[in-house]
Amino acid sequence: MKRGKALATLFLEFFQFGCFTFGGGWSIVAQMQRLYVEKKHTITGEELLDITSVGRSLPGTMIGNVAMLYGNHVAGLAGGVVCLFAMVLPPFVVLTVLTFCYTAVRDNPWVVAAMTGVRAAIVPIMASAALPLAKGAFRYPPCILVAALSFGLYLIWNVSCVLLVVMGIAAGLVICEYYERKGKGGENHGAA
Amino acid sequence: MVLLELFWSFVKIGFTSFGGLSMIPLITSEVLSHGWMTASEVSDIVAIAEMTPGPLGLNCATFAGIHAAGVPGAIMANLGVLSPTLTLGAVAAVFFEHVKNNKYMEHILVGVRPACLGMIVGVMGTLLTNYLNTAGGVSLPAVAIGVLDLVLLVKVRLAVPAVIGISAALGLLCFGVLGLG
Repeated sequence: MKRGKALATLFLEFFQFGCFTFGGGWSIVAQMQRLYVEKKHTITGEELLDITSVGRSLPGTMIGNVAMLYGNHVAGLAGGVVCLFAMVLPPFVVLTVLTFCYTAVRDNPWVVAAMTGVRAAIVPIMASAALPLAKGAFRYPPCILVAALSFGLYLIWNVSCVLLVVMGIAAGLVICEYYERKGKGGENHGAA
Repeated sequence: MVLLELFWSFVKIGFTSFGGLSMIPLITSEVLSHGWMTASEVSDIVAIAEMTPGPLGLNCATFAGIHAAGVPGAIMANLGVLSPTLTLGAVAAVFFEHVKNNKYMEHILVGVRPACLGMIVGVMGTLLTNYLNTAGGVSLPAVAIGVLDLVLLVKVRLAVPAVIGISAALGLLCFGVLGLG
């Protein structure tokens, strides 16, 4: 009974988070910080940081992973699943309604005109979002080669993204292994 | 079986994406190759997803799923995107203490980040079709809106939904009222 209540509370809390996750997952981490670290003390700030960094390193949506990790932390696997689906529900409903509206009005000439303007915004939006990503992407010089290779393979030779990500994973392991050994072998060179 | 195809496509998308934008390249190639969406619809969904709550990947899954097979399609596509969380994420949650300090997870990202960046720049290349008019020539108003948006985002640091709103208004003016192409 007590467990059911805990799960219901988690559901309500993550449902609310799900309503306010605009633009990336960082807003939800801020909300979790306020509610769980500062108010309810269910986790420490350091634990939240651990959860966030593991959630970000796993594939899939970051905040989905964060919800799963937090839910499991306070109420076991069932808690994780409850948090995940509670958080996903609001955007799902909103997008379902919007998609049907979009389909209904998309052939209206005024909507077409407005959307032509909006489409012109997409490349700049992606560029501005890619800029901070670029800052963290080149830890070692060979990372530049990985980026260039993946760009060329994707755009020119149409190589599948799955393959490119697998290539990235392999490259990451090799590059880090190389620089770790180099770092150990000769401290004077000061690689990493 | 379109539901299974949707699920499988979004499983692939989920497992090869590491946060935010990194999903767009795979989403683009999956939905275009299956004919679930057109290139301009991909741009529309990115705009819609940026203006509504929820992660981009889930919002794209809902949109593409509904286009391909209605609400059941959206549910299957969402489950596909969530599959890494329900499997790998659940395992990581149970063995959290072991995963927390695992250096290989960090190492993987050292290679995945630049690979994703390369693909994102590649997708931006394919989305340059947004700057063509119906006759196939370069649409100068669209280019002007794009340049203005870039300045607003990078220099003025305006929020994304505001930039989308401004672009919609300029689109109405240029293509609707003035009838430019």
